[in-house]
Amino acid sequence: MSSELPSDPDADATPCQYTEYREGGDVEDLPATGEDADGLEAAVWDVLYEIEDPEMPISIVDLGLIYGVDATDATDGDGSDVTIAMTLTYTGCPAREMLLSQVTDEVGAVDGVADASVQLVWSPEWTLEMVTEQGEEDLKEFGLSI
Amino acid sequence: MSSTAAAPVEDLDDDQREAVQHLLYRLGDDEFVAAERYTEWQVRAPTLESDLALSNIAQDELGHARLWYDLLQDFGYDEPDLLFERDPETFRHSTMTELPFEEGDWSDAIVRTYLYDVAEDLRLEALEDSSYGPIRDRVGKIQSEEDYHLEHAESWLDRLASDDDGQRRLQEAVDRLFPYALTLFEPTDPDVEARIVDNEYRTEPLDELGEEWLSNVVPKLESYGLDVPISEDGTITSADLPPEIGRDGNHMDDWESLYDDFTQTYRDLGRTEATTLMEDPS
Repeated sequence: MSSELPSDPDADATPCQYTEYREGGDVEDLPATGEDADGLEAAVWDVLYEIEDPEMPISIVDLGLIYGVDATDATDGDGSDVTIAMTLTYTGCPAREMLLSQVTDEVGAVDGVADASVQLVWSPEWTLEMVTEQGEEDLKEFGLSI
Repeated sequence: MSSTAAAPVEDLDDDQREAVQHLLYRLGDDEFVAAERYTEWQVRAPTLESDLALSNIAQDELGHARLWYDLLQDFGYDEPDLLFERDPETFRHSTMTELPFEEGDWSDAIVRTYLYDVAEDLRLEALEDSSYGPIRDRVGKIQSEEDYHLEHAESWLDRLASDDDGQRRLQEAVDRLFPYALTLFEPTDPDVEARIVDNEYRTEPLDELGEEWLSNVVPKLESYGLDVPISEDGTITSADLPPEIGRDGNHMDDWESLYDDFTQTYRDLGRTEATTLMEDPS
């Protein structure tokens, strides 16, 4: 179980769980890069690194869209269920469905993953500060300085 | 796919579920229908910049509608239920959002976005401390994308008010739109509305939001030399409202044609589900 998810989807849902990551300064833990992940979660992070933003040559991880990866034993059958907490830079993002399907499909194809789902989160809000150093370099090469 | 795997829907009793849903419908439907109308200006606005600006505002509002509809999906609805196969009489938007533009009248678009965006800012503030976490969590993101909407409307108000013709057009737009704008603060149902406030899903009652809105927009419009069609003491009664307020499902005939327009492709293609932009990658 990773500690990077802002909320635990298995826990009893109460409004309080939202308070924690809204006010708890979790922004400091972002961007999440999976550097401490191991086993299956590390394999999932590797796949996520390969997925690029549809408009710019930058990994969605380096863009700071991924807030966490959480693998739990599958409720039925073998393998693990993986939940990816992620956000989008813009609520009106026209590539939303494309990007979310790509994430669930590619993570779902990782060996050992029984089911992959995305939990779309909007708090904390994505900001430029969530772009990693690698992401800044990729954007610079693309012609964007941030 | 649920967008919020940990939504606390299960913690609500039936009355609370109804209250949260009414709140989400009025938020989502306002945004969606307002955006549908705004897009009619695409390639028709007076300048390229204003065309891009209003189109972009429409895209923002569609994004915000999606954030609210996502939360309704947590109650078991899917996109066709919420939009493309929904009974048009169950939509809860304010009738100002469905009202057709006066043909070719840019001042209508400007006054409308101004009246709407002031109201939207106030209602988002009243959701910042919502007791329903998933609503509260979306407010900041939406606010961050709303900043320039008012700036756009106000800069155009300045320009239009600077000559007699613009002034006359603004006055006509205010006269026409103001009664409809008041429906933004009408309840979907008085009992359910009381529950929305009692449970602090929204922390301010509609009448207080309406008063704040009036104290904001009336002096502003008057500062341009415009008359605002309300009584001297500022009291709003049902006589100030149009026959159809929208919130209660009672809509104008224009809504039917707008609904037919945005569902036409879905019906023509014989869809039974909302499609994605492209086939899933193999």
